[in-house]
Amino acid sequence: MEPYSFSSSAAMAQKTWELENNIVTMETPSSTESDAIFHHDEAAQAKFQQEKPWSNDPHYFKRVKVSALALLKMVVHSRSGGTIEVMGLMQGKTDGDAIIVMDAFALPVEGTETRVNAQADAYEYMVDYSQTNKQIKNCRSWRHGGLDLLGGNVSKVKNDSSVMRKEARFVMIIIQLVECHPSFLLMELEVQISLLAGLRVTVFKGPVGPLSNGISLLLIKKQVGRLENVVGWYHSHPGYGCWLSGIDVSTQMLNQQFQEPFLAVVIDPTRTVSAGKVEIGAFRTYPEGYKPPDEPVSEYQTIPLNKIEDFGVHCKQYYSLDITYFKSSLDCHLLDLLWNKYWVNTLSSSPLLGNKDYVAGQISDLAEKLEQAENQLAHSRFGPLIAPPQRKKEEESQIAKITKDSAKITVEQVHGLMSQVIKDTLFNSVRQFNGPRAELSGPEPMVES
Amino acid sequence: MASSSSSGLTFKLHPLVILNISDHYTRVKSQSQPPQNGAESTASPPPRVFGCVIGVQRGRTVEIFNSFELLYYPSSHSLDRSFLEKKQELCQSLNTLSDKKVFPNYYILGWYSTGSEAEESDMQIHKALMDINESPVYVLLNPSINHAQKDLPVTIYESVANTFCSCGLINATLELHVIDGIPQLIFVRSSYTIETVEAERISVDHVAHLKPSDGGSAATQLAAHLTGIHSAIKMLNSRIRVLHHYLLAMQKGDIPCENSLLRQVSSLLRRLPAIESEKFQDDFLMEYNDTLLITYLAMLTNCSSSMNELVDKFNTAYEKHSRRGGRTAFF
Repeated sequence: MEPYSFSSSAAMAQKTWELENNIVTMETPSSTESDAIFHHDEAAQAKFQQEKPWSNDPHYFKRVKVSALALLKMVVHSRSGGTIEVMGLMQGKTDGDAIIVMDAFALPVEGTETRVNAQADAYEYMVDYSQTNKQIKNCRSWRHGGLDLLGGNVSKVKNDSSVMRKEARFVMIIIQLVECHPSFLLMELEVQISLLAGLRVTVFKGPVGPLSNGISLLLIKKQVGRLENVVGWYHSHPGYGCWLSGIDVSTQMLNQQFQEPFLAVVIDPTRTVSAGKVEIGAFRTYPEGYKPPDEPVSEYQTIPLNKIEDFGVHCKQYYSLDITYFKSSLDCHLLDLLWNKYWVNTLSSSPLLGNKDYVAGQISDLAEKLEQAENQLAHSRFGPLIAPPQRKKEEESQIAKITKDSAKITVEQVHGLMSQVIKDTLFNSVRQFNGPRAELSGPEPMVES
Repeated sequence: MASSSSSGLTFKLHPLVILNISDHYTRVKSQSQPPQNGAESTASPPPRVFGCVIGVQRGRTVEIFNSFELLYYPSSHSLDRSFLEKKQELCQSLNTLSDKKVFPNYYILGWYSTGSEAEESDMQIHKALMDINESPVYVLLNPSINHAQKDLPVTIYESVANTFCSCGLINATLELHVIDGIPQLIFVRSSYTIETVEAERISVDHVAHLKPSDGGSAATQLAAHLTGIHSAIKMLNSRIRVLHHYLLAMQKGDIPCENSLLRQVSSLLRRLPAIESEKFQDDFLMEYNDTLLITYLAMLTNCSSSMNELVDKFNTAYEKHSRRGGRTAFF
């Protein structure tokens, strides 16, 4: 064994990374210091809750710190959903203008995509939601009113897809109930829930129990020392980027009204695998009617054609937060050692194979976008020539966007191919070593521009 | 990597489990020692943590996917049973909830704890779990940080319900030793491999190397990609060098010749080149060409975009001179 070369390569990779990306690591040699973030101070959190520093400044929270564990859990859960949206809740705390996400747990619900026809139901539901919540605040007649509202709501639901999303929200309310009023007896709640679940079963013949699962998960976690409260929710957008859809915005807005501090995290598992890095976004909405000051242009991202409208309408209603990650000293140590074990996986994985569908989808989406852009161009050129200059600018950027998208997908593809070629030269050494590599270096710089 | 043990079971451990245990430990530690005191190592050793590992067993392969925490009563050396049952119930309802792949059928495979060695009292817990899973596994994480160590401080103890006697052999599994007619259980280590799914691998890479989440330019992405491959290949290289040294030493006679190892090395070498069929060459070329084609398409798009820009600039430049003539004339 040559321990030096193992450690040096891992250390070197890490050093290069940190240098290249100007990452400020929170790594401190003394273990007590770096692990201090894991300490939960109930009193300080309660004080923070009382002060409500965020109520005056809609842009109060600016940073998010995610623990390694939470990130891993969220990504794995999102990926396990495949092309179905999944969601879960995050536990954590606040620290100044940062929200710290310590842990995450999956909710046993599946959503569907951001469907337009789910919107009407969702709004209807929102009304019920806020009413219910107000009743809870009074801590009176919850049983009666709450059940009526929720029950009534369920009976109105027609198609399955929206049920799924609603179900998710039921769970969220109830979990929040438990948090707001720990005095609620679990028994009482479970009666409520089983009634609710009963309603659902009679109407939809669905499975029983997802509601109580959410609560039980949280209660159980509290017992084993996960003391933090829920600070937000996460859900996945498989294949269409990290942003908030209309429904997400309204969900988040309501949550911020009643359950501050609250954070929305979106993960795109498909692009994560395709790009080889985690695609994640953390968002908070502005209160209704708030006009954001000159918004710094958020990072450009690819959004499929059929979602672009949903994105465009709501993109001014929320802002994204900077995400950083932290890990405990033990995590650090373990992760370093882990690399010694699983370098094999890095070599054996092939992004090209796993992403065929996604790439094909992206290309056809690009083709559609191009066609649309072409139509518009033709229209403005030969139509009435009163087109104001700003409009023209928009069109230009449309093509520029398409170029960016295509460059991005190409870069990812070329990366995949590169690892394949390297493996081929390594293990099927029949080839000339320099041949394929020299060819490869060709397309790379061109795409980069 | 020979990962089978005497029971013939292959263990695959996901990094998520390791991080979960580590997090559980750190959490309990920081909670029991408030950081304000500045107590470094004077405080009492942090309590051990306990939990359940869940996953799937397919045939002879056991894959540990996830874990959850359990309550433990140090006084009676027992776990909170009702708590476990509740959790198990939840686990089951997750299983039944969806027929899709969102929650694959995970079952309780065993339990985990922290510490440097398996302790006497652990056997009680282990036995207590046997009615849930008749041959539970025991994952032990050593939380003390030792930088000289190059291996993961994780050990898996396995149990099999077989009755053959292998007294004195501490290399097998948890076996039923019949001593004086009373069956006794002993913890014995078994080996395991680390298994990841693609998304897991990427996120572990992400947190381990602290990649920026905003992607960066194409150049940094390329560097990242290549660095990853480079360090993996370096690792492979060092492993091969170890083998090479070993073989050289054997040739010199420093090490006694061991035929079974030599056979393994030879069969490993025979496997190169890994794939050499016509079909592979075709497919590989196709993939290669597909990628080139995509690159070509992207270049075309880029060209047309620049072209469009140029036309627009041209139009703006000449618009003044010949009102709308310049524009239409150009086309």
